[in-house]
Amino acid sequence: MNTNTILTVENVSKTFSAKSGPVEALRDVSFAVEKNELCVLLGPSGCGKSTLLNIVAGLEYPSAGRMLLDGVEVHGPGRERGMVFQGYTSFPWLTVLQNVEYGMKLNGVPKAERRERASHYVDLVHLGKFRNAYPKTLSGGMKQRVAIARTLANAPEILLMDEPFGALDAETRWHMQEMLLEILDTTHTTILLVTHDIQEAIFLADRIVFLSSHPGRLKTILDLKFKQGKRPNSKEELIQMEGYLDCEQQIVALMRSEAGIND
Amino acid sequence: MNENRSYSTPQTGAAARPRKRLFEFKSDINPTLGLGLGVLVWVLFFGLWEFAVWSRWMTEILLPGPRTVLAALYTLFAENGFVADVLISVQRVLLSFVLACAVAIPLGILMGSFRAVEAFFDPFVSAWRYLPAPAFIPLLLMWFGTGDAQKLALLFIGVIWFLITLIADHTKAVSQDLIRTSVTLGGTRRQVLRTVIVPAALPNIVVAMRQMLAVSWTYLVIAEITAADAGIGAMMMRAKRFLHVDQIMAGILVIGVLGLLFDYLLKRLHRHAFSYLDEYP
Repeated sequence: MNTNTILTVENVSKTFSAKSGPVEALRDVSFAVEKNELCVLLGPSGCGKSTLLNIVAGLEYPSAGRMLLDGVEVHGPGRERGMVFQGYTSFPWLTVLQNVEYGMKLNGVPKAERRERASHYVDLVHLGKFRNAYPKTLSGGMKQRVAIARTLANAPEILLMDEPFGALDAETRWHMQEMLLEILDTTHTTILLVTHDIQEAIFLADRIVFLSSHPGRLKTILDLKFKQGKRPNSKEELIQMEGYLDCEQQIVALMRSEAGIND
Repeated sequence: MNENRSYSTPQTGAAARPRKRLFEFKSDINPTLGLGLGVLVWVLFFGLWEFAVWSRWMTEILLPGPRTVLAALYTLFAENGFVADVLISVQRVLLSFVLACAVAIPLGILMGSFRAVEAFFDPFVSAWRYLPAPAFIPLLLMWFGTGDAQKLALLFIGVIWFLITLIADHTKAVSQDLIRTSVTLGGTRRQVLRTVIVPAALPNIVVAMRQMLAVSWTYLVIAEITAADAGIGAMMMRAKRFLHVDQIMAGILVIGVLGLLFDYLLKRLHRHAFSYLDEYP
C-alpha cells in the first residue's frame, strides 16, 4: 500500500434485494484515494456511484469487500468521513453559524474554539454576511456552501460529496466549482466526489474513477495528465489548457460506449 | 351584446385593461374583501336566526333570539357563578391533554424513528384508534364514578391514539438526508434523536396537538353531559331540566369561543417558536 493512500476500497460488491429478485448494483470495485487528492467518481446513470459513496460513508453496507481508512478497516459512519449531499441539508432551525458549529458541538469541541473555527469556515465559503441568517433566507447555492463549511469545520480526513452541485442552476454550479478549488488551495482537504457531469469531473478532478453500468464495475482510472498537477482557477483557464479537448473527447466516448448497452 | 365576447380581437380604450375575476382558482383575494366576506357569513347567520325567532318557527322557549342568549350569558357569569364551571372544564381539557401529550410525544417519536418500536406498538395503537371513546363511558363510570377521574380518562383515551399516530407519521417524515448528515458528522443515536429528529418534527407535532386539542373539547362535552355536577356541559344539562334553552345556547357559545381561543393561542405559539420556517400552517 502506498503510504500516501488515505482511503482504500477493496473488492466491494453490493446486491440489493428487490421484489423482482436481487439487483446487482456494484461488482468487485477496487480503487484508492490519495491524500490531498480530489478524486471524482464518474459514470453513466445506473453505475452505482452514489451507492458506492454511501458505502464509503458507512450509510450502506457492502455485500462483499471492505474499506480501509489509513489502513484500518472501517464499518458504519464516522466523522472522519464527512459527507455533503445533493439535497439541501442545512438544519432550518439553526443559523448559518450554528449549522457550521453543529458537527463540532456533537464532538464536544469547546464553545470558544467551536465559534472561532465556524467563523473561519463561514468566511471561507463567503457567507460572513449571513452568519446569523436562517437557511430559509438563503439560495440553493448558499445552502450548499453552508453544508460544505459545516463538513469541513468538523475536520474530516476525507470529504465525500454526492453530486453536491447537481441541484443548482448552471451558473451557480460554476461558481461553486471554482469556490471548491479555491477552498482546496488553503485547506488541502482530500475529496471523493460523485458526479455524472463530464465538465464538472474534468474541471475538479485530479483523477477520475470511471464506472460502467449495470452492474457498476471499475471501467478505468483516468489521470488527468494534461493538468500537469495544477488545478485551474477558472473554467476559462481549464478550457485553454492543452489536452483539455482530448480528455473531454475520451470521456464522452467512454460515456457513449456505456450508455446504449442497456438503454 | 357581443362586446364582451370578443376574446381574440384586441380592445381599445380604457375598457381594454384586463380585469381580475373574483373566482380564480387558488388566487389570492383582496384582504379587505376577505375580511368582509368572513364578517358577512356571521351577519347572515344572526340575521337568519333573528328571522327564525321573529317568524315564530318555534316557540320562544325552544328558540330564543341571539340577544336573549347574550343576556343569559351575562346572567350566568354575573349571578350563577358560571366562571367556576368554565374553569373546571378548561382544567379538565388541559390536564387530560397534557397527560396524553406526555405519553404520545415520546412514544410517537420513538415509533417514527425506529421500525422495531413501531412494529411492536402500531397494531395495538391502530386497534384502539378505531374504538370510539364514548363506548367506554359506562365502563369508566363504574370504575371511576362521576368525578374528575372519569372525565380525564375519557378525554385521555379520546385523543391519545390519534395523537400517537400523527406524531409517529410526522417523525417518519423527517428528511433522511438530515439524519444522515448528523450521522456522518459523528452523531450518535441519542444525539441524532435530540438534535435532528425532535427539532425537525416539532413544528408538525405542534400542529397535530392543535388538531387534537379541538377533538378534546368534543369529548369534554360528551363527558360532562353524561354525568357531571360541574363544568360547562353540566350547566347545560341543568339548564335542560328547567327548559333554559337560552342558557344551553350560551354554553355552546362559550365552548365555541374557548375552542377558537385555544386554537389561536397554539397557532401564535407555532408562529413564534418556529419563525425560522418558510411556511406557516
